[in-house]
Amino acid sequence: MIQDIQYIGEHLWPGRIGHFCIILCFVSSLLAVFSYFKASQTELDQKGNWTKLGRMGFLLHTLSLFSLIAVLFYIMVNHLYEYSYAQAHVSDDLSMKYILSAFWEGQEGSFILWMFWHCILGWYLIKKAGSWEAPVIMIIALAEAVLSSMLLGLHVHIGDFVYKIGSNPTTLLRDVFEAPIFEKADYVNVISGTGLNPLLQNYWMTIHPPTLFLGFASTIVPFAYAAGGLFTGRHREWLKPALKWALFSAGILGVGILMGSAWAYEALTFGGYWAWDPVENMSFVPWLILVAGVHTNLIANVTGRAVRSTYIYYALTFVLILYSTYLTRSGILGDTSAHSFTEMGLEPQLIFMVMFFAVLAMTIYIAKSNLIPVFDKEESIYSREFWMFVGALVLLFSGGIIAASTSLPVLNALATLYDPEFVGTVIKDPIPHFNKFQLWTSILVMVLAAKTIFLRYKAGEWSTGQKITFAKGQLFHAALAGGMTLLLSLWIDFFHWKYALLAFCAFYTILSNAAFLLRKSMKNAKMASAVFSHIGFGVMIIGILTSGLNESVVTTNPFVMKGLIKDKDLASSVKLIKQEPFFVNDYWITYESDTIVDQIRTFKIKFEKEDKERGNIDPFYVYPNVLFSNDFSKVAATNPDAKHFIDKDIFTSIASLPNEQMDIKLAKEAEDSLKYVKYELSVGDTLFTKEHYAIVEGYTFDPQHPDYLKHTNDIGLGVKIKFHDLEDDYSEVIEPAIGVRENLLYQYPSQINELELKVRLNEASFDNFFSTEDQLEYQSFSITQDESFTYQSEEYVLTGFEKDATSVNYIREENDISIQALLLRLSDKALLKPIYVIRDTKPFNIKDHEINSGVHARMTHINPVDEKFSFMMAIDDRSNDDLVIEVAEKSRTDVIILEAKMFPGINLFWVGASMMMLGFFLGLYNRRSKRSRSN
Amino acid sequence: MKKSYLVGFLALIAAIAIIVSASKDVSTYATFENAIQNQNRVKISGEIDKNGEVVYDPIKNPNSFTFLMKDSEGLSKKVIMKKPKPQDFELSETVVVTGQMDGETFIADEVLLKCPSKYKDEELKLRSEASLSS
Repeated sequence: MIQDIQYIGEHLWPGRIGHFCIILCFVSSLLAVFSYFKASQTELDQKGNWTKLGRMGFLLHTLSLFSLIAVLFYIMVNHLYEYSYAQAHVSDDLSMKYILSAFWEGQEGSFILWMFWHCILGWYLIKKAGSWEAPVIMIIALAEAVLSSMLLGLHVHIGDFVYKIGSNPTTLLRDVFEAPIFEKADYVNVISGTGLNPLLQNYWMTIHPPTLFLGFASTIVPFAYAAGGLFTGRHREWLKPALKWALFSAGILGVGILMGSAWAYEALTFGGYWAWDPVENMSFVPWLILVAGVHTNLIANVTGRAVRSTYIYYALTFVLILYSTYLTRSGILGDTSAHSFTEMGLEPQLIFMVMFFAVLAMTIYIAKSNLIPVFDKEESIYSREFWMFVGALVLLFSGGIIAASTSLPVLNALATLYDPEFVGTVIKDPIPHFNKFQLWTSILVMVLAAKTIFLRYKAGEWSTGQKITFAKGQLFHAALAGGMTLLLSLWIDFFHWKYALLAFCAFYTILSNAAFLLRKSMKNAKMASAVFSHIGFGVMIIGILTSGLNESVVTTNPFVMKGLIKDKDLASSVKLIKQEPFFVNDYWITYESDTIVDQIRTFKIKFEKEDKERGNIDPFYVYPNVLFSNDFSKVAATNPDAKHFIDKDIFTSIASLPNEQMDIKLAKEAEDSLKYVKYELSVGDTLFTKEHYAIVEGYTFDPQHPDYLKHTNDIGLGVKIKFHDLEDDYSEVIEPAIGVRENLLYQYPSQINELELKVRLNEASFDNFFSTEDQLEYQSFSITQDESFTYQSEEYVLTGFEKDATSVNYIREENDISIQALLLRLSDKALLKPIYVIRDTKPFNIKDHEINSGVHARMTHINPVDEKFSFMMAIDDRSNDDLVIEVAEKSRTDVIILEAKMFPGINLFWVGASMMMLGFFLGLYNRRSKRSRSN
Repeated sequence: MKKSYLVGFLALIAAIAIIVSASKDVSTYATFENAIQNQNRVKISGEIDKNGEVVYDPIKNPNSFTFLMKDSEGLSKKVIMKKPKPQDFELSETVVVTGQMDGETFIADEVLLKCPSKYKDEELKLRSEASLSS
């Protein structure tokens, strides 16, 4: 039935172009694979024709991919919601600066990003790789073929079962969903976009995915060189170019992972930079294996050993990248990860992708590895290569443990295949689980990095003298490291000897490598970069000990002594009342104010240290915020804020707000549910509510309510009331007010948060003090200058006139003839200044109203003959001076729930980790000159 | 080749030690029944029981919220979580809580939400819009 509808307003051509591009993308990558396969068997490619064809195929592939990107952007930028990808990732109110983020928010977009990087890397390699072009691009094109198949969007019917191959991002929404809305021919006009998840609307989402995916994409290059080496039997020649690419990849992937942890720390409320979340783990494991590969690659370059391991590590890295893609995108991680995933129904295809490359790598290796040269004699234990090899094994081990634990859901799924009754297991407390193993692998890595750097490649048996020199040096470093560990213990707690050992090893590796840098490798730039990375690792471990092990909750329950109860029972957040300082763990915290700009409500929170002698000192401010959803109906995300000090961070986030502030519906309900009770009172009266009593102290026509900014022609009324709770523990004077400005009445209620009260002045009070013009009864008087008259037992003298008549109610025009009388009330010297105006030969009078006494005065006539001036006087009816006050109890809104944590020495973590990554790029830079020799 | 055998042997021993140690860290999802019986710290996966009320009054106590949860066996128990209420709690259907029983209530120190997938949301949105416009 739906198929028969002629839809109106759809743009169908982008989808057709997009679909064509995807098919071309897939087919052309296969062409490139086939041609380069032929080209890599050099005897078949004497004239280079196969290479040319391969390049053609890769060019076609690149162009069609870029066209697909252009089409997808066109669809998203123009909000063509008839396409599911646009509908799912953009919305009318999404700022264009987030268009990139929206592009790769979806799985299809991130696959495209990955392929994009493969193309860029591919063209660089076509230009630079020389004789390695054919095998290397063949592998890249093969990966591109597998990745493009993820976009095909084919539905294959096998019997009743519909098997899905790929998900096409340029599919129409109505082909994805069946919904009654598609019975409307003009449904395009009705639908709107979902938009980008508010949590992802920040610059991290713009920079993190491209970096991480460049890291993912670049791991294929060492793998491709490895495959090429095996394929062509050139088992030594591939090592040098592969090393450079492995260094690049390790650096970029590392930076990508670090960006992710910086994002988690800075913008998300995970409250830390690493949580051993499966998604984090599975980008970290390939990195570890890649780093192991870098080490064996170095060995292989110098000694010719460890070639097999290098092959295996690089292949494993790439396969693990694919495996991590499967884990994070198939939904199999289920409830073990805080990241949420959408399933695309491509699980079998993802498994195929992993298995395809795993089997391919193994097949090539088994078929060709018997030709790899082997050594009869084992490395000496005095050689650098032996211990580097062991180090690489430790890294493999470390990655293996993490991967195995993270794969528990996969093991569960496999077990269920064999035994449907099988009940899956989970890790009860993941963070301690991962930490307890990685502590030891870190210790091993650091000890190895400390001592191995002083060994020489290809060293044989040592003389006793050499042994003694070496031992002396190492003992000296160890002694220094011991001293530094003691110093560190003055700053932080180790809690357990194993953490002290970890700190000791970190210092040992830092000192050893620094000593090596100073003594030996100043002239050897390649070694210097390795040393730099090792020092960075040590510094990072110290940073983890200070910031992770010694992380503490600032906003903990101040009345509970730590140690008396279990740590997890300690409250993690505190309630802060606006303007009320609250004391927790060394700090006075005050929630000072908050502001709303666009959709973000930012809280200004002051921290001060308590000092007995000087009062509170060292104030600083943090500004955590909450982000409301696009329609302001509820809080969509909270963004923490950290104050960075050189030695620590104070990390704060809004853990919660009162319910009515989290959600606009609840806010309205809250206001509606406030039950105001009316009281009519005079000055001096006492009112009793359920839980409070109050005395009316007086009223004023000059209210001092903070929200009330008096304009000259406003009429205001404020009432001073002193509220007490029934126990008389607390009292506070408030002054709710109302004001009239340009005939509109404004309410200025007052709130006493301590008593959970909201008080407002009913407008009836206003009517009791001010009469409207038609209720006034005027009385006339005629006098000359300096004469007086008596009205309501007050004597008024006409003391003179003002030539330039001024009044808030009068704006002078040209040709006006105006005169302003000065009527002085003798009793209190109040001056009334009515105005008489002749404009265009017509007379007007503008009254003056003296608010305190309620007297209205008008000058109605001037008699030029006897110089008499006529006045009309009236007075507000204040016979009933009752104040009508409304009181609502149980109301409080100025509260936030704040969570604050302290991360001591967190900068060490960032500095160390950055140094480590920088080391890879330094290594790459130092090897740059040899690029031309790589073939 | 002795050294590589030694390294391999050490790796094997380490691997066995790790597996033994790691096996203590894993467990199946428990039920409330298990938790009542063994009084240990357990992980329970279940649904938020919509019959119960989600109580969170940050003004009274920001570090406590309460809800009713139905475990895989269909048994409902009150869960007290000693942390501020996570965002989108009402949106989620299934939750995983970690903690232990205290009398008739389950005291949780960790709660993991599983929100329905984004696509389901969209479907709902489309359906609701469709019903509005028809």
